[in-house]
Amino acid sequence: MDFVLSEEQGMLEDSLRRLMADQWTFSARRTRHAAGGLDRAAWAALAEVGVLGLTIAADYEGFGEDPASLLPVHRALGAALVSEPVIASGVAAATLLRLAAENESNTCQAHAQSAATALLPAIASGSAIATLAYQEPHRRYARQAREVRAEPVEDGYRLTGTKTLVWHGAAASAWLVTALLADGTQGVFVVDRTTHGSDRVRVDDTPTIDLSRCATLAFDGLLLPHHALIAQGAAASEALDGALDWGVAALCAHAAGAMESLVSSTADYLKTRQQFGQPLAQFQALQHRLAEMLIAQEMALSMAYVAVAALTEDDSRRRRHRVASAKLEVGRRGREVGQLAVQLHGGMGMTDELAVGDYFKRLVAIDLLWGDAQDQLSTLEGML
Amino acid sequence: MNLTWTQEERDFRDSVRAFMQTHLPQDIRQKTIKHQRLAREDYVRWHRILAEQGWGAPGWPVQYGGTGWNNLQRLVFEIESYRAGGPRLLPFGLSMLGPVLMRFGSDEQRARLLPRMLTVEDWWCQGYSEPGSGSDLASLKTRAERDGDHYVVNGQKTWTTLAQYADWIFCLVRTDPQAKAQSGISVLLIDMRSPGVTVRPIKTLDGSHDVNEVWLENVRVPIGNLVGEENRGWTYAKYLLGHERTNIAGLGHCHRELAHLKMLAAETRDENAALIERPAIREKIVRIEADVMALEMLLLRVATAGDGAPGPEASVLKIRGSEIQQDLAMLHMEIAGPDGWPYDPGWIVADSAESQTRDLHAAAAMAGYLDYRKTTIYGGTTEVQKNIIARMVLGV
Repeated sequence: MDFVLSEEQGMLEDSLRRLMADQWTFSARRTRHAAGGLDRAAWAALAEVGVLGLTIAADYEGFGEDPASLLPVHRALGAALVSEPVIASGVAAATLLRLAAENESNTCQAHAQSAATALLPAIASGSAIATLAYQEPHRRYARQAREVRAEPVEDGYRLTGTKTLVWHGAAASAWLVTALLADGTQGVFVVDRTTHGSDRVRVDDTPTIDLSRCATLAFDGLLLPHHALIAQGAAASEALDGALDWGVAALCAHAAGAMESLVSSTADYLKTRQQFGQPLAQFQALQHRLAEMLIAQEMALSMAYVAVAALTEDDSRRRRHRVASAKLEVGRRGREVGQLAVQLHGGMGMTDELAVGDYFKRLVAIDLLWGDAQDQLSTLEGML
Repeated sequence: MNLTWTQEERDFRDSVRAFMQTHLPQDIRQKTIKHQRLAREDYVRWHRILAEQGWGAPGWPVQYGGTGWNNLQRLVFEIESYRAGGPRLLPFGLSMLGPVLMRFGSDEQRARLLPRMLTVEDWWCQGYSEPGSGSDLASLKTRAERDGDHYVVNGQKTWTTLAQYADWIFCLVRTDPQAKAQSGISVLLIDMRSPGVTVRPIKTLDGSHDVNEVWLENVRVPIGNLVGEENRGWTYAKYLLGHERTNIAGLGHCHRELAHLKMLAAETRDENAALIERPAIREKIVRIEADVMALEMLLLRVATAGDGAPGPEASVLKIRGSEIQQDLAMLHMEIAGPDGWPYDPGWIVADSAESQTRDLHAAAAMAGYLDYRKTTIYGGTTEVQKNIIARMVLGV
């Protein structure tokens, strides 16, 4: 083990932090969110700095970095509250495509390889945005498709049913959709929005609590070619699980970065705000609460390391166990840090006028994304 | 000591229940239960229905048009009113300024203002906090200077709840800038329509508009609108805050939310079972249920301890009441789960277009979770309440 960043990782982190300080300011973030869709200039800047293809293999025109590099990168992105689909596309969707293409027991491996060859370089360059569509209404975090079905038709499949909570679903150019197949197993389909047409999909795009967006996708008999099916049965579930583990690990690093920002901005506020003739930072009761924030942040950051380290684990059960433990801790600690930050900012913390609220809401959203603390508890209790 | 409810007390409870059944308008009940924001008109309508029944001021003595109920009856009324889905009563006149006027106001002020509170002819708001004076309220800077038979007021108030609806504001102002912090403060009643009064909205975490900044620029206030004596305002303010702390324990709210969440946890399912089957959810519900029982008995003990303003013990109530309200809001969000993530502040406004087409309980849960963070901040933060307990209750 070595906790020191390599020279390359250090340089990447530095240039990221500079980019963030320059272009992901409080007002820039707010302006972009208010505009509604994805800001293409911001997206291009992220592509250029190299975070979209970070862990995508060089064969697919990515940087082929070790998963450990997710930690400094997403920690820096979280510290600046990046809302663009770096994790959704560059981490989770890219991982699903890679796992499906690599898996020799995947009966659709050839399709997956073509899809990976077509999409991964575009994901790395930012010209394509892919995102997972696996959740279904009223089924919380269930990973087995049931409502969305793919029936075989002459030239391929017909997709019907509703996917929900699709992160950046409206901005994405490709959806990786899980669907129940005729044989009762699940499959993963690549829906390329430019070639597969959109007259048979209704996209309900909504804002989220954390300056991001998600969509509900209602498929009404969308026709897909045979080669859109890229994984089937166990291979589909393994690819989805792996993609979510990678995505969750990056989310944990993002959350840890967001928590660090909150701790430091709260410390600054306590040093500045005067009550009873002295800065709030002079009151021991408040110093202790700030210390509690730091403790929580350190626990969360450590769990982000656990999650990222688990990605190289061969045993998928062990990987899942460690990633779920990390998400449980990060979800709880993130809310704790956010709540304390609001409390220590007093009335000002309750307003929409400071960044503290944006960070708090991002941390709450991270708990809800891809398995909340309750869901992780159920997973872990099942593995006990 | 007798710890059982008497027949008389049970009859009283039944009469409140029966009244709620027949008189609470369905539309107001629905909005309240769905955690939607009520319009000004909704509040006014409900207050007038209560006033019609003679219940316009559950906490006031009969001579001022109140019910003359004892503290136990008031509590029963609050619990039953919430249980039935009744909205909260506006506290600004009934629980805040009203008691202060009864104790310290002039006969003229009582005669002129108290009856109008009962029917919300006047909507009051509270001008206490300032941008530089939150926990350290006594450092407030809003200045009132005598000019003939008027005061001229300059300054800025903040966190003024529902000032956008208000006709009047009761303000803490500094009348003697030379005096030590607490001793130069007075209470002034200011007509919100006076020239120089400007209300600016403050948007909060859930995107809603409940609180405001109130700017006062050369506002002329007749000296007849001074409450009690000049420079004695801090005494009156503290009297009021004691009332506020028992009021914001939120017992009725806790009872209603608990019942609501039990139902919701039974109705909401994951792949395998209702959420109420999950050990982690069951444990939380059971713990909060015990907490609410303790809170209720604490409130009964404090509320029946004497006739005057509650003492520093009210801080215990405020701390626990606010924490339990937050626990409930958090549990609500956990039950809503992933569906709490999509959110638009416009959705939870009463009668919004989306409320017709979307199931918004999860959005309301998210809004509530964020909004209830305020409970450990307003009315004296938890940290300040603990200082009060240490100093005034424990004497350390």
